[in-house]
Amino acid sequence: MGKLHSLTLKIHRYDPEQKKSWVQEYNVDVGGMLRFVDVLRKINQEQDPGLAWMSSCEHAQCGSCGVVVNGKPLLMCQLLVQNAINQFKTTTFTLRPLSIAPVLRDLIVDLPQAYKRVHKAKPYIIEPADPPPEGDEHRIPPQVMERYVEATRCVNCFCCAEACISSHRHFLGPNAMMANIVRLFDPKEKAKQERLYILYGDDGVARCHTSEACSFVCPKEIDVAHFIALGKEAKFS
Amino acid sequence: MIIGAGGAGLRTAVEILAGKRDATIMAVTKVSSPQKSHTTTAQGGFAAVNPKDPIDKPIYHMFDTWKGSDCSSDQNVIKKIVESAWEQTLWLDNHGLHFTRNEEGRFSKRTFGGHTLEFGEGPSAFRAVFEADRTGKGIMDTVWGESLKGKVSFINQSIATELIFKDECCIGAIIFEESRGEFTAVLAKATVISTGGLGQVYKITTNCRQNTGDGLAVVLREGLPVMDLEAVQFHPTGIVGPGILASEALRGEGGFLLNKNMEHFMERYAPNMKDLAPRDMVSRAIETEIREGRGVINPNFNLPHVWLDIRHLSDYVHDVKLPEITGFFKKFAGIDPKKDLCPVRPTVHYHMGGVPTNEFGEAQKSESQVVPGLYAVGESASASFHGFNRLGTNSLLELFTMGKFVGDRVSEYLGDAAEPGDLPKGTGEKSFALFSRYFESKGGENLWKIRETMREMMTEKVGVFRNEKDLDEAINQLQELKERSRHISLSSSSLIMNQELVDRWELDNLLDVAMVIAQGALNRKESRGAHTREDYPERKDEFNYHTVAYMEEYGKVVLGKRPIDMSIFKEKNKDYKRFDFVARKY
Repeated sequence: MGKLHSLTLKIHRYDPEQKKSWVQEYNVDVGGMLRFVDVLRKINQEQDPGLAWMSSCEHAQCGSCGVVVNGKPLLMCQLLVQNAINQFKTTTFTLRPLSIAPVLRDLIVDLPQAYKRVHKAKPYIIEPADPPPEGDEHRIPPQVMERYVEATRCVNCFCCAEACISSHRHFLGPNAMMANIVRLFDPKEKAKQERLYILYGDDGVARCHTSEACSFVCPKEIDVAHFIALGKEAKFS
Repeated sequence: MIIGAGGAGLRTAVEILAGKRDATIMAVTKVSSPQKSHTTTAQGGFAAVNPKDPIDKPIYHMFDTWKGSDCSSDQNVIKKIVESAWEQTLWLDNHGLHFTRNEEGRFSKRTFGGHTLEFGEGPSAFRAVFEADRTGKGIMDTVWGESLKGKVSFINQSIATELIFKDECCIGAIIFEESRGEFTAVLAKATVISTGGLGQVYKITTNCRQNTGDGLAVVLREGLPVMDLEAVQFHPTGIVGPGILASEALRGEGGFLLNKNMEHFMERYAPNMKDLAPRDMVSRAIETEIREGRGVINPNFNLPHVWLDIRHLSDYVHDVKLPEITGFFKKFAGIDPKKDLCPVRPTVHYHMGGVPTNEFGEAQKSESQVVPGLYAVGESASASFHGFNRLGTNSLLELFTMGKFVGDRVSEYLGDAAEPGDLPKGTGEKSFALFSRYFESKGGENLWKIRETMREMMTEKVGVFRNEKDLDEAINQLQELKERSRHISLSSSSLIMNQELVDRWELDNLLDVAMVIAQGALNRKESRGAHTREDYPERKDEFNYHTVAYMEEYGKVVLGKRPIDMSIFKEKNKDYKRFDFVARKY
């Protein structure tokens, strides 16, 4: 095995039964190639089986394991120990849950509640375009798709929403906006008018302060701010 | 009620609504949103032959699936799925999936292992439509979106711990909502099990953390059978370390495998199809290279592996057609696949078996009897389209088309079925007893140690290669681990969002399905598809059947048989002889 690193993790904890919050410190020796999800699993296995955290695919395709590490929202599965040490120039890490929804326990937040904002942006085709001739697919030039498919890589991890300087209460959020903007580009969506209402509504892109924090933190490296900018300028063709 | 809101479960939900718009559907998922389901991690593609295609034909796809399964899938199911494939890709296109296009604006296609033209006598077939290397995410997003549109109610972060029966009919399930810490009995006219895989039984897997065989374990506890669990697919190319999937599309696009001596070793194992032989064969080849000393040891994880070479692929392939996977190598292995060789080794990916169903997804009690009101679909079900080895791109196809068929069947059934009525006496007692035991049990055993011991043991003894001695030992060890698990004490007695409590329940599920895998493997004294016995290296006609397994008491597995459907062969149409028990060479 490669070299071991001695890490100190300061983890924000919350017990829903006692309604009690505290910060707990864990010391753990781990290899540099481990992901932060592996580090937490090691803590579960060797020190504290009760520490609660969320993950699913553990390779940045589902967006379940977003937390804030030393102030930066990120996916724990994508953060290797050696990269974390290089990036943050420390072996002490403070982990706190995302603030986009209430905490359920420790690092787990009520993601279903945060998802309601994405649902409001209607992440589906509202009114499908007329179907192509029987047995055929829609003809869409790859050049047309290139303008928006990058935005479909979004996994709704809410890291952008966490970093966004606009309030969660009044803005549906960068990820929800992007889901809407994709369908404004998509030739298979007919309900462009309704999409524009979502985009320019009270909780739409007008709330964005163009800090571009969304692009800065996106774990999928999507230039979220670029799509929001296109939305603001209504450049969909 | 849909238990498990992945691609299969939600395709079923959407189709039920298409047939019966006023149906009330509840979809229970273990994750925080259906979008977090395992379906979202599928990469490469969706196999579908356009009936108007001048070169490829559905009958070739049927043959490849039959041969790929090592002649143990059901031909009625093969025919039905393959013939519906193209129509389902058009459904996806019309409902918003962003299929990658070629210059003409039509679907791009790529090739995968075991997919050929002219019954294996022609070249590789370009048969899989795809959305870059995130086809599963495209499918998941589409059916999730359609379910939202159709007002399906999602019960997130919840598990189903018990099925409810009345007069032999399934009328719902007990649901445990983690965030509220409450058990609820949910009555439903129809219940669909679509809980996905069991990859966490093994140490290295592409599967999500929550793929712990839950649905299968619940079905077994109800005295119902599971089928062909010994057929576990090892994907040849997991990224060394975490075992993350590196899609077969990498080889489909022209990548190839090398051993320590930089030898293109697949030429020896499959002279014709080489790196695009089916997954079971490539996994065995890699394990053989490693066993015979031609593997490479990764210094970070101390794991042996081989190399995947994709350095020669164009920047367009790296950056546009396979951006996610190229990113995985950079992020999780710290290497640049444009310049470096990629370290890969077999990783548990899929199980071909599951809850036995007929071609409509109705769960079976026995070969001739279904359980009214109970359905199964997706990886947790076995109809069986994949037999003993699944071809790449056939799983998205299967979960999607079967989801449609099951949805059609359920919406018909809903019209005729009686209201579930009152809760039967004794409902929930099983769950109450099980979870009470978790809280009451005392002792020094560690949940995670037992889980890790099981995963290492299953990888070592019930892995790519199996033999009688190892399997006997595995069964004994599982029995011991189950006994030890009764002496685990939990650190908290809270019911609310208690991850440790769910981990405890998952451990039971894992141990249960592991036992059925091991006993099925011990009983099957032959090698077929993904099930390889070193002591019985050949396929044998006497095992031309599906293994049906019941386990009401731990370790006491009762085995039965279900015949393989040979309807294409029996129809005696042109080419029918291809659908006999043919030899499997690539």
